[in-house]
Amino acid sequence: MSKVSPKNIAEAIYEATEGKSGASLAPAIKNSVQILHSKRMLGKSEEVLKELQNIFDKKTGTIRAKITTGRDLGTEERKRIESEIKENYKGKSVVSEFFKKEELLGGVRIEVGDEVRDSSYKNQLEKLKNFLMQEK
Amino acid sequence: MSNHIVENLRKEIEAFKIEVKTEKVGKVLEVFDGIAKVSGLSDIKSSEMVTFPAGEVGVALNLEEDAVGIIILGDFSKIKEGDEVKATGRILEIPVSDGILGRVVNAVGTPIDGKGTIKAGKTYPIEKVAPGVVTRQSVDQPVATGIKAIDAIIPVGRGQRELIIGDRQTGKTALAIDAILNQKGQNMICVYVSIGQKDSKLRKLQARLEAGNSMDYTVIVSAGASEAAAMSYIAPYAGVSIAEYFMDQGKDVLIIYDDLSKHAVAYREISLLLRRPPGREAYPGDVFYLHSRLLERACRRNAKYGGGSITAFPIIETQAGDISAYIPTNVISITDGQIFLETDLFYKGIRPAVNVGSSVSRVGSSAQIKAMKKVAGTLKLDLAQFRELEAFSQFGSDLDESTKRQLERGKRSVEVLKQLQYAPVKTEHQVVTFYALTKGFMDDVPVEKIKEFEAGLIEYSERNAKTFYKEVMETKMWTDKGEEQLKKAIGDFKASFQK
Repeated sequence: MSKVSPKNIAEAIYEATEGKSGASLAPAIKNSVQILHSKRMLGKSEEVLKELQNIFDKKTGTIRAKITTGRDLGTEERKRIESEIKENYKGKSVVSEFFKKEELLGGVRIEVGDEVRDSSYKNQLEKLKNFLMQEK
Repeated sequence: MSNHIVENLRKEIEAFKIEVKTEKVGKVLEVFDGIAKVSGLSDIKSSEMVTFPAGEVGVALNLEEDAVGIIILGDFSKIKEGDEVKATGRILEIPVSDGILGRVVNAVGTPIDGKGTIKAGKTYPIEKVAPGVVTRQSVDQPVATGIKAIDAIIPVGRGQRELIIGDRQTGKTALAIDAILNQKGQNMICVYVSIGQKDSKLRKLQARLEAGNSMDYTVIVSAGASEAAAMSYIAPYAGVSIAEYFMDQGKDVLIIYDDLSKHAVAYREISLLLRRPPGREAYPGDVFYLHSRLLERACRRNAKYGGGSITAFPIIETQAGDISAYIPTNVISITDGQIFLETDLFYKGIRPAVNVGSSVSRVGSSAQIKAMKKVAGTLKLDLAQFRELEAFSQFGSDLDESTKRQLERGKRSVEVLKQLQYAPVKTEHQVVTFYALTKGFMDDVPVEKIKEFEAGLIEYSERNAKTFYKEVMETKMWTDKGEEQLKKAIGDFKASFQK
């Protein structure tokens, strides 16, 4: 049998706990932890939780975005970016984290899953540098 | 002046268009021994190029459920865990242009000979499917290697794949270099792929080719012993891509892979690091495909599809003459023949140490010119009979006349096939030598004087049998008139030689 991956365990836990709450949820969670223990995967619980989060996001249509900008954004701008992401990825809701990194100089860098949309000045300058260094 | 520079720069910057695209990225999970495990990169293709933040290029080889195994081309020490990896959407490719002739490049096409950058032309993918059946034509034109033993007995045709196999220090590379040296003026481009060789050996080889003015039509692709295994793995594919660039212009190309045993070892290293299951001799299961897809790209294309050909000389190094090891048997079965080099012959002074008995060329005989076929047709059989008789004659002293004659002829044949390194012999000279040998003109020349006789004969006949030479060079066969002239020249020369 092939090795059990954190993703497999997360899927199993999700199925076992789906739609349960209160008294019926407690034993399912207890069993899940016991399985992690018996499979010697307690050390990987972080990864399992991350996978669980992914599964949950997929089911509920939540999009997690990381938005980095050169300066602080106002609430109005933040809302506009979020609604754009929502439209682009056709999700139900967007959970975003905002970061400020002055070295971007300007523009926005949006990360969703393994996709990046980088319109920061830093990235564009980098591209210009490569373009000028190309041999013609 | 400075205004001019600013103006140019301004124009270039204006030509630059900013476009923001969504890119696929991944994060480095672990890096070790030239391999990176990367998460993300969900839509990546097999053998797609990726870039690391420090500028290194990698190639995706293992596509797993939630990670991608990447081989790093270059220095992996600058890559850290958590680094962002970008997919480029392009399959691994190398820049090719006519400017690459005479240069030494590494496995990704970057020049390493310190002669500046190569003006980029096109890019060619490193992995390409070999030409199909309808585009091919059978081998019917010779590759003149300038080595008598090969051109006479194991002829190679344009588009053929002929393996050079032997132990270490038996002259495998020397044979290949002689073949390159002899391509001067033969309308052939040469690509020499050095895989896992010492840099000192490569330098020596380059100097030798430069001394023979052979670098003008040669490209050297090198993946040195100190470079990563990934470079050794892609070097032959890069080499054949360069060869294909020239073939697509309708040219004939000769490519030498020196050597494929080291290539297989490099691929084994990568495969084991990527945790692919090992098979026989710990090589991965697809090691046959590794070489078959490479050598299948050697071909002769018909005129309808642009013509041109790629002739491949793969080299395999055996351990203590063991040709039944895994890689040698694989490559023997893929190629259209093999040239065996033996340590015993080498130390007996028979150099090139070609074992004529076990060397074969499966398709080359149809490419041999008529004149050569005529003079060398029976040579292989004669030599085989000679070896048998030689073993037999050691028991008895009384031998009949015909056996004695055969033995004497055999000794002279072996002597004629000996040749110095870096001294390729022109085809027409070979024809004259073999003519003199097989027609019995050398039978009364002492064995130790054969070399001297041969050199003298070539010089003399070139002056006194011009018709014969002209006929052989132009029509690939002589007429009675030319033959008469040559016979007379040989007779005259012999008379003066024996005085």
